[in-house]
Order: sequence, then C-alpha cells, then structure tokens
Amino acid sequence: MTLWLMAGLLFTPLAWAVLTLLMNFTWGRLVTWVGIVVQVLVSLGLWLAVSRDGGFYYGLGGWEAPLGIELRVDGLAVTFVLLTAVVASACGWHAGVYIDADKPWHRYFWPLFWFLWSGLNAVWLGGDLFNLYVGLELISLSAVGLVALGGKAGALRASIRYLLAALLGSLAYLLGVALIYGQFGTLSIAGVVFWLEEHPVPAGSSLALALMVTGLALKTALFPLHRWLPPAHGIAKSPVSALLSALVVKASFYIAARLWLELGEPLGNLAAAQLVGLLGSAAIVWGSWLACRQLELKQVVAYSSVAQIGYLFLLFPLTYSVSESVTLQAQQGITLQVISHALAKAAMFLAAGNLILSTGSSRVDALKGVSRFLPFSLFSFGLAGVSLMSLPPSGGFAAKWLLLQASLGSGQWWWVLVLLVGGLLSAAYVFRIYRASFLESSETDHFYHPPRSLEIIPMILALLSLGLGLVSAEVLSVMALPFEEEGSP
Amino acid sequence: MTLNTWIPVLALMTSLIASLVIFALPEKGYRLRTAVNLGAALLKLGLVVVMVWGVFRGVGYGVSFTMVPGVTFVLKADAFSMMFAGLSAVLWLLTTIYAVGYLEDSPNRSRFFGFFSLCVASTMGIALAGNLFTFFLFYEMLTLSTYPLVVHRGTEKALKAGRTYVIYTLTGGAVLLLAIAWLHGVVGDLPFREGGHFTGSDPDIHRSLTLIFILLVAGLGVKAAIFPLHGWLPQAMVAPAPVSALLHAVAVVKAGAFGIVRVVHDVYGVDASSALGLLEPLAWLAAFTIIYASVRALWQVDLKRRLAFSTVSQVSYIILGVSIFGPVAAVGGLVHLLHQGIMKITLFFCAGNYAETLGIHRIDEMDGAGRRMPGTSVAFTIGAFGMIGAPPLAGFITKWTMGSGALAVNMDWVVVVLVASSLLNAAYFLPVLYRLWFRKPAAHWPHERQWGRLETSAWLFWPPLLTAVMTVMVGVLASLPFSPLSWAELIVLREYSP
Amino acid sequence: MMLPEPLLVIMAVCLPLLYPAMALRAAWERAMRYALPVLPLPALVLALGSEPGWQLEMPWLLNGGLWAVDGVRRLFLLLTAVLWMVAGIYAVGCLRPDHLRRFCVFWGLTLAGNLGLTVAVDIGSFYSFFALMTFAGYGLVVHEGTNEAIRAGRVYLVMAVLGEMAILTGLLLASAAAGSQMLADLPEAIAASPRRDLIMALLIAGFGVKAGLPLLHFWLPLAHPVAPTPASAVLSGAMIKAGLLGWLVTLPFGEVAMPGWGALMIVAGAVGAIGAAVLGVCQQRPKAVLAYSSISQMGLMVLMVGVALADSGRAPVLFSVIALYALHHGLAKGSLFLSAGVSLPAGAMRRAVVWLLIALPGLSLAGLPFTSGALAKLAMKEGLLENRLEFALAGYLSPLMTAGAVATLLLILRYLWTLSAKLGTGHNPPMLVAGWLAAVGVSLVAFWWMPWEAGGLVESPVWLPAPYQLWALVWPMLIALGLALLTLWASRLVKQR
Repeated sequence: MTLWLMAGLLFTPLAWAVLTLLMNFTWGRLVTWVGIVVQVLVSLGLWLAVSRDGGFYYGLGGWEAPLGIELRVDGLAVTFVLLTAVVASACGWHAGVYIDADKPWHRYFWPLFWFLWSGLNAVWLGGDLFNLYVGLELISLSAVGLVALGGKAGALRASIRYLLAALLGSLAYLLGVALIYGQFGTLSIAGVVFWLEEHPVPAGSSLALALMVTGLALKTALFPLHRWLPPAHGIAKSPVSALLSALVVKASFYIAARLWLELGEPLGNLAAAQLVGLLGSAAIVWGSWLACRQLELKQVVAYSSVAQIGYLFLLFPLTYSVSESVTLQAQQGITLQVISHALAKAAMFLAAGNLILSTGSSRVDALKGVSRFLPFSLFSFGLAGVSLMSLPPSGGFAAKWLLLQASLGSGQWWWVLVLLVGGLLSAAYVFRIYRASFLESSETDHFYHPPRSLEIIPMILALLSLGLGLVSAEVLSVMALPFEEEGSP
Repeated sequence: MTLNTWIPVLALMTSLIASLVIFALPEKGYRLRTAVNLGAALLKLGLVVVMVWGVFRGVGYGVSFTMVPGVTFVLKADAFSMMFAGLSAVLWLLTTIYAVGYLEDSPNRSRFFGFFSLCVASTMGIALAGNLFTFFLFYEMLTLSTYPLVVHRGTEKALKAGRTYVIYTLTGGAVLLLAIAWLHGVVGDLPFREGGHFTGSDPDIHRSLTLIFILLVAGLGVKAAIFPLHGWLPQAMVAPAPVSALLHAVAVVKAGAFGIVRVVHDVYGVDASSALGLLEPLAWLAAFTIIYASVRALWQVDLKRRLAFSTVSQVSYIILGVSIFGPVAAVGGLVHLLHQGIMKITLFFCAGNYAETLGIHRIDEMDGAGRRMPGTSVAFTIGAFGMIGAPPLAGFITKWTMGSGALAVNMDWVVVVLVASSLLNAAYFLPVLYRLWFRKPAAHWPHERQWGRLETSAWLFWPPLLTAVMTVMVGVLASLPFSPLSWAELIVLREYSP
Repeated sequence: MMLPEPLLVIMAVCLPLLYPAMALRAAWERAMRYALPVLPLPALVLALGSEPGWQLEMPWLLNGGLWAVDGVRRLFLLLTAVLWMVAGIYAVGCLRPDHLRRFCVFWGLTLAGNLGLTVAVDIGSFYSFFALMTFAGYGLVVHEGTNEAIRAGRVYLVMAVLGEMAILTGLLLASAAAGSQMLADLPEAIAASPRRDLIMALLIAGFGVKAGLPLLHFWLPLAHPVAPTPASAVLSGAMIKAGLLGWLVTLPFGEVAMPGWGALMIVAGAVGAIGAAVLGVCQQRPKAVLAYSSISQMGLMVLMVGVALADSGRAPVLFSVIALYALHHGLAKGSLFLSAGVSLPAGAMRRAVVWLLIALPGLSLAGLPFTSGALAKLAMKEGLLENRLEFALAGYLSPLMTAGAVATLLLILRYLWTLSAKLGTGHNPPMLVAGWLAAVGVSLVAFWWMPWEAGGLVESPVWLPAPYQLWALVWPMLIALGLALLTLWASRLVKQR
C-alpha cells in the first residue's frame, strides 16, 4: 500500500510528464486533468495514512540508506504534499483554461508542470541531502522552463537570469553537501545527526551548513539575493507565477529549514541565526516598500513574495537556543506561514491574471472601475490580500500570532516590531490595489469577462487560505503526530 | 451541542450568510436583495431577543474551540454583549431599510449590501466575542468590511478618506494585536469574566499589565476615536449616509468603546484597573476628548463633519463613565453606548435625508428646511436635543446618571465636564435648529427631488422618525425593565458584585 | 369631582403635549387655531376642582416619576391655566395666518412644559418640563421673525441654556446630596450639605434667569416685547413665575436660617424693584415698559423670597403671600400685555370705558384699593412686618416696599402714556376682545373667588381695607402721581422752549 502511494507520488508525475511531452496542448490538458485527480487522491491517501498511523521512514525499493533513496514521511512532509496537490491542481486547472492553446510552444507547459510536481514531492519527502539536491534541480530547471514559456524577449531574459541564480545556488548547496559528505561520510540528515550525537563537532562543518543555507537562500530569494525573483515571477504566465511563488521558493526554504532544525543547534551560532533573521526582516521591509512602488499588478504581487519570504527566515533566530515551547511555536508559525502564503499567493496571482485578462493591461491604474465589472476576481484578490496582511481569521494571522508568541517568549522582542511593521506595510500595498479598483472612472471601459471557472479557482484558494486560521489547530496537530523511529538508521 | 450553543453562532451567521448571498446576487435583483437583507435583519433581531431574554434569566449561551494552539475561539452571550448585539440588531434593521431607499438607482449595490452585512456580522462577532483573541478577530474583520463602504462612492476624496481610515485603524489593530499577544504571553488565554482577572494579582507583573493596558487602550482608542487618534472619523464622512450612520452610531466607534469597556471590566476588572492607577488618566483623556471635539465641532460648516466631531465627543462619554470607579457612573457610561447610538443614527439619517432629498450638505444651506421636510426635521431636532442632554431624552439620562455617579465618588470635575460639554453641544446644535425652523428658505434647494406624497422616499422617511421616537422613549421610560438604563444596571450589578 | 385626579393631571399635561401633532396635516390648521383656548382646560378643572393631597406615581418614568399638587403648586397651576386660557382666546383673534401652525406647535409645547413643571414632584420630570418650556418658549419669542426678535431670541436662548445648566448642576448636586430623586427631599439635604453654598448659588442663578433676577434679566426686556402679544402675556405672566416656583420647591426654606443668602436676595430684589423702574420709565414702547414692570414686580417677590430664606420661621407664612402675589401679578400683568394689542373703538364714551379697563389692572398692580393688588400688597406688608422678623435688613423692608409701590405706579403711568401714543382706532376681532375682557375680568373680579389663602394676614372682609391700611396704600400712589405730573409738566416746558 505504502509502496503504491510512494510510487504514485514520485513516479507517476514523471510518467505524466513523459506522456504529455508526446502530445499537443489540448490532449496534454486532458491527460493532465486526469493526472491531477490521481495525484490528489494519492496525496490525500498518504495524508490520511500518516494522520492515522503517524510518520515513518521509508526506503524506496527496499534499499536502505546510504545507498538507496531514503524517504522521510512525517506529518510536515505529508502536509506539504497535500498542499502541493491542492495548489498545483488549482494552477493546472486554471492553466488549462487560461493558456492559449494556439501558440505551439505552449504544449511544453504540461511536461514542465509535471516535472515540477514530481520534484516538489521529492523535496518534501526526501531524507538525504543528495536526493534533495536532485529534487531541487528538477524543480529549478522546470521552473526556468515555465518562465521561458512567457515567450516574449523579456520572459527569456528573466528566465536566463533565473537560471543563473538557480545554478549558482545549486553550486553553493552542492559544495556544502560535498563538505558534509567529506566530514561525516553520510548524506542522510538523520545520519549526520546520529553521528553528531556520538562525536564532537568537526571544524569547518559550520562552513558546510553556511554554504548550503546560502545557496538555498539564493534559490528562495532572500534579501539581498532576491533580484532574480520579481522579473521572473512578474513576467511568467499567471498560473506559472502562482506555482513559482506558492511552491517553488518554498521547496528550497523547506530544505534550509530542515537543515537548520536538525543541524542548526550543533553547527550554527547565535550571530548567524540573528543575521538570517535580520536579512529576513530587511526582506519584509524592503520587499513591501518596493511592492508599494510597482506600477504593474503582477510586479506588486511578486515583490510581495519577496517580503513574505522574509517572514520564513525568522525561523532561524526563533529556534536557536530557545526553550522547547518557543521552538515549537516558531515551527508551527512558520509552517502556517508557508501554507497560507502558498494558498494566498497562488490565489492572488491567478486572480491578478484574471484581472489583467479583463482589463487588457497589466498596470495597476488600469484597474480603475473594475470593481463594477469583475467583483468576483477582485474579491478573491482581496481575500488573498487579507491573508497576506495577516489579518484574522486568515492563516497568515494565525502564523503571525504564533510568531509573536515565539518572539515574546524568547525575549527577542525586536522581531515583534518587524512582524507588526511588516503587516502594516503589506496592508499598504494590498490596499493600493483595492484603492485602484474602487476608483470610479467616468468613461465606462469595455471589460472582457473571463470564463467562470477561471474566477472560481482563485476564490477557492483564497477561501482556503482565509479559513486556514480557523482550523490551524487541526492542521498543526497532524504535524505533531508521533514519528515512528524504528525506521531510522 | 445543544440549541443554546448554536444560537450565538446562528446570530453571527445570519448576516454572514446574507452577505455571501448578496454578493452572489446580480446587480439587478433588487427585490430579492431587499428581501434577503430584511429577512436576515429580522431573523437576527429575533435571535437577539431570544438571547436577551435568556441572559436575563441567567441562561448561558456559548461555543468555543481551539483555533490556534494555545488560544480558543469563544462566542459567548453575557449581559454586556447583549447590549451591543441588541443595538446592532435593531439599528441594522433600520439602517438596511434606510439604505435600500438611499441607494435606489445607484451603482454597485450588491457590493454595498454585501459588505454592509459583513460589517454587521463583524459587529455581532465583536459583541459575542468571549475573549480578547476572538474580539480581535472580528475587530479586524470590521476594519476590512467597512473600508469598501467608506470608499463606496469611488471619488478621489472618498479614496483619500478610506486611506486615512485604513492607516489609522490598521495601525491601531497592530498595536492591539501586540497588546493582546503580550498579555497572552504574560498570563495566557483569558476569557472575559465579570469582575476581571487581576484583582489581587502578582505584583511582579504589574508593570507589564500597566504597559499592556496602555497599548490596549491605544489600539482600541483608534476606533473609539479618543484624542489624538480621532483624525480618521471626520474624514470618513464622505461615505454614503447609511454608512456614516452605521459607522458612527453602531459599528466602528462603538466597537472601540465596547472593547475598552471589556478590557476595563472583564479582563482587568474595575478593582484591579483602579488599583493599578489606570482609570484616572483614562478618565482625564476621555474628558479632554469630550471638550476638545465639541470645540472642534463648533467650526465645522459641513453638517456631517459637525456630527462626526460630535460623535468623537460623545463616544468618550462611554469611556469616561467606565473609567470613573463607581457603579452609578459605569451605568451612565454603558447606557450611553445605546443612547448615543440611537441619537446619532437619527442625526445621520436626517443628514442623509437632507442630502438626498434637497441636496443639502452644508449647514448654511439648511435655512428653512423644516418647512419642506417637517418629519425629518422633527427627528433631527429630537436627536440634537438628546445630544445636548435636554430632558427627558436619552442624553439626559446618561448625563444625569453619570453626574450622580461621579459625585458619589467625589469626582466633581466630571460634572464640570458634563456641563461644559452640554453647553458646547447646545452651541453647535442650536444654530442648526434655528436655521431649520426659523430662517426663510432660499429660493430653491441645491438639488431637489420629489417623492410624491411624503416629504421624501418612504424608505428614508420612517427610520429617522422611529429612532427619534426611540430617543424619546428610552429617556422617558428609563425605569422600565429592559430599558437601556435597567439593562446597564444589570450589567453593572453583575460586574461590581460578580 | 367626576374624574379622578390622576387621570385629570395626565390629561392636563398630555393634551397640550400631543396637540402639536395636529400640525401634521395642513387641513387641520383652522381647528388648531380654535383649539388654543381649550388646551389648559383640564389643568383649570384640576386646579379649581381638586383638593391637594393626592399624588400620581409613575415608577417607570425617567428615574421614577411622581406628580402631585399641594397648596402652593395649586395656586401656580391655577395662574398658569387661567392665563394661558385667556391668552389662548386672545390668540385665536389676533394671530396672523403666516406660520400659524408653527406658532401653535410652540404654544402647545410651552404650555405643556409650564403646566408639567407645576405638577411635577420628582426632579426628572420637573427639570424635563422646565427645559421643554424654556426651549419651546424660544419659538414664541422669535415668532415674528424680525431682526429684533431674532436678536432677542438669541439672547434669550443663550441665557436660558446657561440657566438650564446651572439648574442641572444644582439639581444634580442636591440630588446626590439627598440620595433621592424627589424634589421634596432636596431642601433638607441642601441645608445639611457641605456644598450648600454652591448648590444655593447654582439654583438661585439658574431659576433667576427665568425669574428676571437683576443681572440675569437682560433677555427679558428684549424678549417679552417682541413676542406676539398673547405670547408676551404668558411669558410675563406665567412663565416668569416658573423660576419663582423653582426656588420655592428647591431652596431650603424653613430648614435653617441663612441670613447671608437672604440678605443677598433682599438686595437683589430691591435693586430689581427700583432699578427696573428707573430703566422702565425711559422706555419708548409700551410692551418694553411692561417687561421692566415685570422685573420690578418680580423684584418684590425676590425680596420676599430673601426674607423667607433669612428667617426660617416666617417661611411658611411668606409662601402663601408669595403665591398670592404671584397669582395677582400674573393675572394683572397678563391683562396689561393683552391690552397692548387692542384697538380703540370710535365713540368717546366707549373709548373711556376701554381706557378704564386698560388702566384698572395696572392700578391694581399699584395696589389700588378694592383690587387684588390691594390685597396682595397688604398681605405682603403683614408678612414683612418688622417686629416679627429677626435679621439685620428687616428695618429697610418697609421703605423698600413703599418705594416699590411708587415705582409700580410710575411704570403703569408710563405704560399708559406710551400706549396712548400707539393705540390706533379700529375694529377688533371678536375673539381678541373676548380674550382681553376675560383677562381683565379674571384679574379684577374672578380673583376673589379663587382658592387663594392668606390665612390671617389680612382682616376680613379682605377686599375692603381698613382706613389706616387705605392710607398706607394710597399715599405712595399719590407720590407717584405727583411725580408723573411733574414730569409731564417738565416735558411740556422743555418742548415749549
């Protein structure tokens, strides 16, 4: 049973990818929609299995570490798997309607989409550093390809830039992995932890961690390494932007967070943790500020991603040498932030796509009067904005609450200020969009009405992110499930 | 789950569901929308009446679940929440009727009524919230749902006002969140409880408690428009009249005042707040706001702006009443929550009628409007006299009770504030009344519309008259059971002897 | 009585209170006009037909309502009802059609306030009716809409609002001291309160605005003349007495002697009585002269209030005298004001009769024998007899009263003089004449059947003064007459030069 679920998660996406590679856009779409159903069912099945029985290690194909592919199936991982299934299927569904079937190169969307999905699942479940690297590369390359699908010269330029950043990040990460392997002789994170329990910390292993984290931070677009993100996310097709912002950046962060939580205590130090937190804060402020100043709608959303990613990195200071309960709160907060941001940002990009489609312009001030014609998409956008502003009852709010508690509990009150200011700044750019849309223009422009299905998808995502706050205790309870330890080496 | 746990949820849901249904309705579905609006309002009123009766007999209504690890989402009906819920349920019904008439033929009505219902749902949530966390949840929801109403007209001016509104309220919300989170960090999740939690608390945390109290008041003070946090309110006057009526009489400012009362009474407890030395500065601040805003109101030429400053002044009565350490004054403050709501909504309805029927916005255009619109003007007159505190209207009961309460605890200066405020109120309302009734009308009104038999549309005509009658009734019949005064006495009885 | 008193008192207050609702329909304007005299009817029946001692409890009203009529209140109620009724009859005849409904609305509300405050025994309803009368009275003052009326209205309103606030504060303090919401509990509490002087000052000043206390009177000579004639009559005759009633029911008479406050009030009364006369004789317009005359007469009543304050033992006796004096003055002053609006008939004989009827209430004010004025003056003299009083200023009272009598007559003469220049010949509407004649009749004749009580103060038969009293009444009048003739002669002389 578990084997089937695992295979379904990791290999069927590859199969769908290959299948769609051979087809034109319309057939690819059909196959994808069937595939989406399968993937969602499988993800749900795994989630149910874990929430019933607890997490476990799983050696794929019966091969144990260090040779085989070792999977770590815990509550967090399955939560993210499910999240991926939700967001990716929404984007896939949306893309099927949104993307123009006539352009020949658009048929590559489907294979890239499936490669991305399989890469994501690999990262969530991956238990050793090399497999994580493979998953990460799969994600990066397919993401670059998706950006390039935008077709215009600007899209190509942005994708090249993205590619360079991704490769540079991978390089740094790989270097760190090599150092770790050199020092510990294993690639399994659990193995390293096990080793460290028995031996003193070898010199230079901090450097390995720093290299890996830096590389991943570049891929996650942490300030000041964020410059590649806005052009890439801004210029891509809306469903692509949604995928990139919601999931792709989270993958690299997920690895970084995992490394830090497992290895941070022995290998890291206080200054580094504070530095990362500081960079995260800078990202919040700077990203929001730039988002306020963008003229184009999707650029606003893209810079908002830069800011929101900043929150994630507060995990580092808030889990380093603090009490157990604070660590737990911080982890829960960050997890909620990841989930709610994924849902909200996907909703926002998809809604923004609809808005652009109907106004025919990507500029913010073209939204004038749109509230009269496209209230549904605008409403989705607005609801997603609520989560980004971390106002109740959204998941963003629950995340912020937990982070506030963690900051206050750890005595690091300065993050409190960052959180509050960040919330206000995000309100500034979200309300800028609201404002533009509420403006009544005297001339009644002609607005194109996108199909209903395009409007419903972002609404569902936005409502999910909004409702997340109300059920966050249940969501988080899955992560707190006991982990079946006997599988560990 | 029994029925008693579901009634508060249902009361909340009626407007929430109404809001969603209205959003989904097409713009042209005028009748259906009106039916949904009024049906939901009536249903909610019925539920609130049931709860009021139940709370009076001591039945507990409530529901709670863990929302975020460590904090619970609590809906609970106690005497004080019923006061606010009753106010919002009654006035929502009237405002809905009014708004249907006011927005006839104007664009974006689905949007308007959707957010309008959402706003009322938030108000209901604020009323029924059982702890600070839940309160905050609905408090922010209120901010968000009122923004589209403030900017409804879509003009530059409206958007500017909306911007100011959002800056003020969200900043206030952030401060409030900080305070609530801090309090939670210090003492954990506290449900609202009559008598509060901190009587005889550990002296080690007194410093934190004091700071948190200041933050709480600062956060809530934005919506309650305490000086110097009142700047958004006069600007928000660009909103359509039903919105300003609801914003100023029921939802927004009252949410702030309600929150402050909750903090003083049900989180800290009057004894503890007084022992920490927190009440006296609050009283002074409220008193200053009362006087300051009244003075500012004197110079306003726009009718709604004048009313707005009057609101700033009047809401601080509630806070003043609560921050006087004595039961009778607290009754005066609490009862003003209702009284001010009824009186102010009357005035705003009337201001809206003048604007909609005759195109009058400025006070100097009001000459002789009393002859053209006698019903509205009578309502306006009653509302204005109520504000001045002329007996036997609602405002008099407030002032009398509060004054007696202040004297009972030897805070004589409060009486001076009350009298000064009454004088100032008279100074800015009486000239308006004079223009209404005794000046000769101008040759033609700025923008007149005819409605047949009545002086204005029937939708617009009856709500202000009804609220005016209520203004008289809650004053004249103040000693009846279930009158606002009696209800406030019930609340205070439970608060001071928990 | 057929009707039980509680029902009657509710009718008395609610009839004028609800009457303005008739203004809703334009078609009822005519009915509204003719309903004016009917409004005070229940109150009149109540005042004449019921014996004091009943009360109506309304625990649901405000902070607990209680209405009742005692001896003093009964006289005030009688005065109010009668005066408003005759003025109502007069108004039917004299009102012009423009803004008629507005006038009627304010008339009804003011009347309701005036009647209500007279029967109210709890603080809440007393103050409510007082405020209703004050604010609705504004509508009567500015009714004509002239610049002068508007200016007068503004002064009236400003002073009235200040007065209301003083009363509110005073009542609030007193009520807090008494821990009660009933007027009857206030005097004792005020007397015992540590804030006694503050409360006294607030109440005296607050009601003093209504009663035309010197320095608080500015609105009065402005407002009374500009109002329509029937409104002036009730303003000067009845509403001004509300301030007096306010004092009588709140101040601590008979509790503890307060020579300081008493002296202050006596001085204020004397200043009012004499000063108003000096200012009054300089006035050009008849109604302004009458307004000053009202201030002057109120001065005498203030003086008596002062004595009652200073000498707690005499307070009960003085209460009756004050009430009697108020009744007499209200009726006479009402008649005088109403006479300012009549036109003279053509024939010389008729003219003489009219002039006589105009002059008689005036002379009654001055204390002409065989009139209510003589009775009131004598009662006052008895009440203020030096040898029965025990405080410093007692010796000055007698000359003050004499001076007051001189002042009164001078003002009346001045009034007649200015009136003679103004009254034109013409036809009077019948209702106007009816109202005026009713007023004069009530003042001169019906007075004697009214239930006033001056128990033991004046020898029976009261309307026939004893010779020594006769002289006491007449000689100040002669002085005044002499002064007036002197002035006339002097002015002729000046004109000839």
